Amino acid sequence: MEPSRGLSAPPGRALSAPIAGLALLAAGVVALPQLTRDSYYLDVATTILMNLALTMSLRLQVSTGQLNMAHISFMGIGAYASALLVTRVGISFWAALPIAAVVAALLAFPIGGLALRVTGPYYFLITFAFSEVVRLFFNNFFVDLFGGPSGLVGIPKPSALPWFGRALTFTTKLELYTLMAALLLVTAAVLVRLEHSRFGLVASAIRQGDLLAETLGVNVFRYKLTAYVVGSLVAGVAGAFFAHSHQVLHSSDFGLEPMVLLVVFTVIGGTGSVWGPVAGTVLMTIAGELLRELHHYESLVFGVVLILTMLWAPDGLVALPGKLARRRRAGVSLAP
Amino acid sequence: MSIDLLVQALLNGFGLAMVYVLVALGLTLIFSILEIINFAHGEFYMLGGYVTYYAFAVFGLNYFATLGFAILAVGLAGVVAERLIFRYLRGKTLNAFIVSLGLLWVMQASAQLSFGVLDKPVPSAFSGIVRAFGLVISVERLVVSLSAIVLIAALYLFLRWSRPGRAMRAVAQDADAAALQGVDIELVSALGFGIGCALAGGAGGLLAPVFAVSPAMGALPVVKAFIIIIIGGMGSLPGAVVGGLLLGSVEGLGSLFMGSAAVSVLGFLVVILALLVRPRGLFGGA
Amino acid sequence: MRIRASIAAVVIALAAVVGTVVMGGAQDKTLSIGVLGPLSGGAASYGVELVRGAEMKADEINKAGGLKVGADTYRIKLVSYDHKALAADAATAANKLVFQDKVKYIIGNAVGATCNAVQTVTEPEKVLFSFVCWGTNNLGPDKPHSFRVMLSQWEVAEPFYRWVKEKHPQIKRVAAISPNDTSGKDTNTAVVKALKALGFEVAADEYYERGTKDFYPILTKILAAKPDMLDVAAAPAGEGGLILKQARELGFKGAKGWTAGTNPFTIIGVAGKDAAEGVWSPANINVRSDFVSATVRRFGAEYEKRYNEVPGVIAVANYAAFDVITKAMQEARSLDTDKVLAALTQKPFETVWGRLVIGGKETYGIDRQFLYPVVISEVRDGKVVDIAQVLPTALKK
Repeated sequence: MEPSRGLSAPPGRALSAPIAGLALLAAGVVALPQLTRDSYYLDVATTILMNLALTMSLRLQVSTGQLNMAHISFMGIGAYASALLVTRVGISFWAALPIAAVVAALLAFPIGGLALRVTGPYYFLITFAFSEVVRLFFNNFFVDLFGGPSGLVGIPKPSALPWFGRALTFTTKLELYTLMAALLLVTAAVLVRLEHSRFGLVASAIRQGDLLAETLGVNVFRYKLTAYVVGSLVAGVAGAFFAHSHQVLHSSDFGLEPMVLLVVFTVIGGTGSVWGPVAGTVLMTIAGELLRELHHYESLVFGVVLILTMLWAPDGLVALPGKLARRRRAGVSLAP
Repeated sequence: MSIDLLVQALLNGFGLAMVYVLVALGLTLIFSILEIINFAHGEFYMLGGYVTYYAFAVFGLNYFATLGFAILAVGLAGVVAERLIFRYLRGKTLNAFIVSLGLLWVMQASAQLSFGVLDKPVPSAFSGIVRAFGLVISVERLVVSLSAIVLIAALYLFLRWSRPGRAMRAVAQDADAAALQGVDIELVSALGFGIGCALAGGAGGLLAPVFAVSPAMGALPVVKAFIIIIIGGMGSLPGAVVGGLLLGSVEGLGSLFMGSAAVSVLGFLVVILALLVRPRGLFGGA
Repeated sequence: MRIRASIAAVVIALAAVVGTVVMGGAQDKTLSIGVLGPLSGGAASYGVELVRGAEMKADEINKAGGLKVGADTYRIKLVSYDHKALAADAATAANKLVFQDKVKYIIGNAVGATCNAVQTVTEPEKVLFSFVCWGTNNLGPDKPHSFRVMLSQWEVAEPFYRWVKEKHPQIKRVAAISPNDTSGKDTNTAVVKALKALGFEVAADEYYERGTKDFYPILTKILAAKPDMLDVAAAPAGEGGLILKQARELGFKGAKGWTAGTNPFTIIGVAGKDAAEGVWSPANINVRSDFVSATVRRFGAEYEKRYNEVPGVIAVANYAAFDVITKAMQEARSLDTDKVLAALTQKPFETVWGRLVIGGKETYGIDRQFLYPVVISEVRDGKVVDIAQVLPTALKK
């Protein structure tokens, strides 16, 4: 997609850009609660942060050429696993979170392994099939455990964490926001590091052509599976957070509608850069919330926004500034 | 469990399978020619349903004339969509996916705002029940299935023997080579998209009297279409037919033995299995 | 370029956030009341009817000069949001209503799991929340600010089947079919419970995926069990109509019921006169029938003129809910939700349903269920005819 990007930056050097990006992200995340303590804004911001974790990890998979429609299912697996570990087994959220994430990652191995046997649109469709199986599973089977169509209710918020003699609670919107912010910044740091390492280079090569990458001696399958498992691990963490901040789980939270939104955020932001999902998620979530005011016309306008944005910024929003700059410099109009 | 019951169950499954095959064929045609997965395909199906409602139920036009009209009208809508939007997205599968999603929302919301939210029933053009060999099928379903088969056959003949049809097949195989041979890619693209949507519209018109029309009626057929295409292989007409029959039998027989959720899961598991055994579908080519 | 891109991304993002915060709107000095529901997608008819029912009552009140509560008069402003039947979306929308729009009353929501999600926001903030969701766990002593404003299957199933047993003793085997979600599961459970308690045989207890149109497979299985009566329980009008139509095509000639049915006209239209003949329905309202009051008929006519569609029971229910709750505000001479709560549960109200009482303690542990007479209707020759009135057990006192 952007041949000049990955191959010209040797790993290890040129870390100033990603560090600047991370710093900006961290600054933004820290700044928000200083600007507002309104519960609604904090709630939306927390959702944005959670979706960032999901879209950045989805983008990791897309960077190796896979559009994984089952990403949301691993969020669901993490969510239900954590909820049940806390409510049924009785362990604390802090122990359940990593376990739930590992469960998601473990399940990602066989599912990813199977899905990666096919490519292109078949991969898209097989992961969609997997996601529906998982959703139906949570909606209809083991109803005593998962709550069935009525959903799983009564999930407690994260318990207090002892910290140098005091206890950090996570009950208010601000506290939950802080928790998600911490989780996201760690995730973002890991993903950015991956992107600007050998992994990122190879991923870029694979994205441009499996065959080409293989001739260079790359074990394409292993890279793709790694991206799949790592992405699913992150999704599991997001899911565990979701379960304990929303306190209610329902299979529809992990179905096609939310998954499709994740894809929208990622692609509109731009899959060529690790920061694409940031722009896409933040802007489209805010747009979506603003559009709520339109009541009946919400989906209509959102649909129009999608169509126009995609037609005018085919490489994503994050590539727009660069494109406009090039256009100005070159004085030639580049067709969309 | 008697044999009669099993055969009736199979018949039920097959009953409307051919109409879903129509939808699937439209989807796969668009994919073959433009290399995009049109997520809004179900909305063209819905459009066909509403055209049928207004022409047949409200204005009282003859049913088959209505069907023809629906096919043409939705086909035209498809051409417009292609010329305005999708022609810029040929080959860009990911972007087209997002755009088609946007189109889905636009079309569904518009339908809801224009036509209202409640289901609108369409009277059956054909009443009565046919009983033979201890099996039961309504005349309506029989006519609908046969009409679908006729349309599928017409599509096959068109692709095989007509000039535009051959041009479409050439583009589907290798767009660049076809262009070198003088095929007008823009024309084929518009025509292909239009015909794909026309097929969906026709399916919507066929099922309108059977199922009533509503703004969200396109959601389920499009999922079935996806399943059928994956099983049969993208770009293959016989594959879609076989895929449809397979899905129909699984659903028909499955419903006898298990609840609906389990049947849906079964359907998806069959898809996954089929893909693992034959990664390009039963009949999928290179 | 990479640096520029990443900086640009985060700056754009920050600017957007700051811009939104700064732009936050000022509040009107009116009474904002929230309405939530699925306004798009497959379940849209529920949400849209909720909004319309509320709109009709709000407009009525505003046209008459506003809502007089104590010494103040308020103009009612409705704030409605679409949650698309997604639980997480419902929670976000509820957050917006409660914290940004500052509503203390949410009158109207549908679709089971979304009610639970909204309650995680409304209960801690003492926001009065009324809905039509049928989930049993939506009401309870731990949720004192939640109300169900429409008779659910728990109130309707038993009196309905008691009537069936009395008037049609030849019916012994009943089959129930509902969509596979909260309301469907709860409805079938209530129906089966009533059936068993009254001595019927349960021929089938089946579920289908919402959105299904082809019921031949599932009907083949159900009809093989030879039921005397087929109850399409919690199926919405379109799907219920299809089930009846297809059952007829498959040769079913027995009795038909629609325990949780809402819009009789649609079901007749979809099933066709033949298949719909004889369908009994305890939970809908026929705004055109002679049985209902002039108020209801006027409501129905106005609704149809304004929206071009016949109102279903959900629209009427929310209209009545809005009516009752605003009346309670006037009774309590306050907008404080605890005071209004007290006023609500104290005495009966006269509404479009007739006499309405808020009860249900035996079933839910707390009196938060709107109770009113159940009118059983039968479809005769393409028309909906009210044939009996029964009282829910809790109302008999």
